Amino acid sequence: MDLNIDTDDLNICVQCGLCLPHCPTYRVTGDETMSPRGRINLMREVQDNDAPLTDEVVDAFATCVQCRGCEPACPSNVPYGQMIEQTRETLVEVGKVTPAWQQLALKPLAHPKLLRAGSVAVAVASKVGMVPTRFGLPEGLPIRQKPLVASGDDVWMFTGCVMDAWQRDVHHATQRVLEAAGFGVKPTGRLAPCCGALQTHAGVGDQARRLAETVIDQLEGQPVLVNSAGCGAAMKDYGRTLGTERAKAFSHRVFDISEFLAGHADRLPDATPLDLRVAVQDPCHLRHVQRVHHATRDVLRPFVRELVELDDDGLCCGAGGAYSVLQPELAGQIRDRKIAAIDRATPDVVASANPGCSMHLAAAGVPTVHPLTLIDQAITTSGPGN
Amino acid sequence: MAGLLSSVRKRLSSDALRTGRNGGQTDPVVAELRAALAPDRVRYDGAERTVLSHDASIYAGGVAGPVCFPLTTTEVQAIMVIAERHTRNVVPRGAGTGLAGGAIPLGAPIVVSVTRMNEIEQVDTANRFAWVGPGVVNLDLTRHLTPLGFHFAPDPSSQQVCTIGGNVANNSGGPHCLAYGVTNAHVLAVEVVLPNGDIVMLGGLEDEPAGYDLRGTFVGSEGTLGIATRVAVRLTPNPPAVTTLLLSFETIRDAANTVSDIIAAGMVPAALEVMDQRITVAVENYVHAGYPTDAGAVLLAEVDGLAESIEIDAHHIAALGHKNNALHIRVAADEAERAALWKGRKTAFGAIAQIAPDYYLHDTVVPRGALADVLDKIYEIADRHDLLVMNVFHAGDGNLHPLLVFDAREPGVVDRVHQAGAEIVRASLDAGGVLSGEHGIGVEKQAYMDEFFTAEDLAHQNRLRQAFDPGCRTNPGKVIPSGHSCADIQALRSVPRDVWA
Repeated sequence: MDLNIDTDDLNICVQCGLCLPHCPTYRVTGDETMSPRGRINLMREVQDNDAPLTDEVVDAFATCVQCRGCEPACPSNVPYGQMIEQTRETLVEVGKVTPAWQQLALKPLAHPKLLRAGSVAVAVASKVGMVPTRFGLPEGLPIRQKPLVASGDDVWMFTGCVMDAWQRDVHHATQRVLEAAGFGVKPTGRLAPCCGALQTHAGVGDQARRLAETVIDQLEGQPVLVNSAGCGAAMKDYGRTLGTERAKAFSHRVFDISEFLAGHADRLPDATPLDLRVAVQDPCHLRHVQRVHHATRDVLRPFVRELVELDDDGLCCGAGGAYSVLQPELAGQIRDRKIAAIDRATPDVVASANPGCSMHLAAAGVPTVHPLTLIDQAITTSGPGN
Repeated sequence: MAGLLSSVRKRLSSDALRTGRNGGQTDPVVAELRAALAPDRVRYDGAERTVLSHDASIYAGGVAGPVCFPLTTTEVQAIMVIAERHTRNVVPRGAGTGLAGGAIPLGAPIVVSVTRMNEIEQVDTANRFAWVGPGVVNLDLTRHLTPLGFHFAPDPSSQQVCTIGGNVANNSGGPHCLAYGVTNAHVLAVEVVLPNGDIVMLGGLEDEPAGYDLRGTFVGSEGTLGIATRVAVRLTPNPPAVTTLLLSFETIRDAANTVSDIIAAGMVPAALEVMDQRITVAVENYVHAGYPTDAGAVLLAEVDGLAESIEIDAHHIAALGHKNNALHIRVAADEAERAALWKGRKTAFGAIAQIAPDYYLHDTVVPRGALADVLDKIYEIADRHDLLVMNVFHAGDGNLHPLLVFDAREPGVVDRVHQAGAEIVRASLDAGGVLSGEHGIGVEKQAYMDEFFTAEDLAHQNRLRQAFDPGCRTNPGKVIPSGHSCADIQALRSVPRDVWA
């Protein structure tokens, strides 16, 4: 069966296996069907040799977190992320993954009011103990949040879907830091409700492409700053997903918030560093896809007492967008490895620039904050003029 | 050999996948294995069996039978007992990064993946050993030991992936084995489950174990004597200081001569690695470490020890480089630069996919003095067969890795690769070399064993093997060539369909 994977892409892999240790699902299972090399092997069998799509083959594809940790590890530059996205999209078309109810569940992401209402309902339900713990929701989801107000038009601040509903405080912090650096900020809000990353991962390509077009239509002119690593990675990839010159030009205007601030570090005010030992947990889509994770360190370093690295080579935490809900067992095992690495680093707090990672870690009791929240705190507590 | 090569990776049929959901339950050993391990740690579905029918080599053999993921020595023992009762073959497997086909199944054997036996059980820095499971990843072990001031010295290029069990099976080398010795020098004892289910301890923690060195027999036996379930490895202290030099040359001959001069001068650097221009370009395109892409060859030289002594050695190496017309000599300024240079060297095989989708790699060792002449010969052979060859090798110990790169879809190319490969091996043997430095014989080099050993040699090797494995059931059909092996290799080539159909 044709999975619609580019034949040349499929041929690049020489099966050397250097990707294996960088794959979270292989790391926790030791099973090569849950590794990039094994999955590529199965893609070839299905697409080139017409092997049947058995439940186990589908499972091999469905268990991929899509962290893309294998890509920087690959000396042959196999575009694995594209290949698994394409595979998922084909599997959705033939009804093998992401059933209708899951596709339906993705719809509210593009409708802020609906998402907001749903989030409040979940937050209330969670507060009164009605949400099963296996859903892995962190405690204390916000029930009421202050609105975001534009302060100028130097930069767009992309607010997104889940992050705006559940972590708007991070947007407020981001806006304050940008303003402290002298930038007037336009929050995108309802103009561009969702980037489409979760839809792309689920293989619902049509939904994702429609959302991408809306984002590009609405956000003209200024740099688009993104404080969610997953959204930033998706938006930097619009050029490929839509294949238009306009999308490519748009992608060039997209920056991770730390990447942008690192380029304007001289404009950030001095502040008394927070008395914290902070472990940096790189979201995969910041480290392996955008590859701008060093900026997080450069920007954060002056504002905290101590930065500490994890010793797990940037292995995924298991959040993977909706992965932690769809594959709770594997996601939990992957998170256990991450928590062991965090414990070895003995931090006071973990900094992670992606809502999925921080919620997934927080749900296991790891104190996790966005790096911009820490910078904002340092600047705010130091007071103006410092 | 040609037959094997022509059935390259991508042409393996999907027989296992075609058997349908769960691959059926007709293999009688599956239920017994599941009862002995756990239902989810014995897989028999088409996806699993297809994936575990390959390793990093280009060889396709049979199809994996039941795939087991044991956690303990006792579980491995149970697998061996069941296999013996049903007269089934067993193939042990680590990370499957072997390049000689050592881990591919022939026929439809039970595959024993040791990846989950990955515990570092005990680290004794006072007595400088550690007990580890065979599934521990080589680099994970070194990372675990580094804060304690030690490391595991063998560092194959695949060290970030490959397992200690695989290192033991192949007696693996690596760039830094020039100064420190290969795996055999770093394994004190091995707990082994024999094909009849007996658990034996080979070697020991004491410095001079009594009796024959059966540990030494087991290391490098490529899974044909039994399955290692625990390994006592030697801990090597981390050197107080390290300096890495990158020397570039107009010709690979100049690089090779520099290597010979360094060794002749009485130095034993930690590592001496040479890459030719083609491979350097591919590597630099991936790693961006500042490798010169316009030089004919580069030499990566590393010295370690006391800061004062390595400074002297580094100067000496640079002087010998200049004597051999070095174009440029660069000293890595910091650990990051050093790490980037090594990352380039260690990902060289994978990087060639940028040039062509298939490669065929040899692993011969030649006397250092003959390096330059044999390299000339290799380029000449490849030219004559209209093939692209790249050379990246452990120059310090004369271990060549000529890579023939090709696209197997091109008609006739596989036969030319086979012929060129055979000539390269012959040229190495003629120069006084040996078949394999570190990758093992596997299925890849069996055909050359007859040229290197007499019939009597091979018969003795087979008797040694049968002392451990009288039924020739662990990793059958590997190492010892057909005609000398107790396993009928020809029969193993055909997959016994009724096993699962």
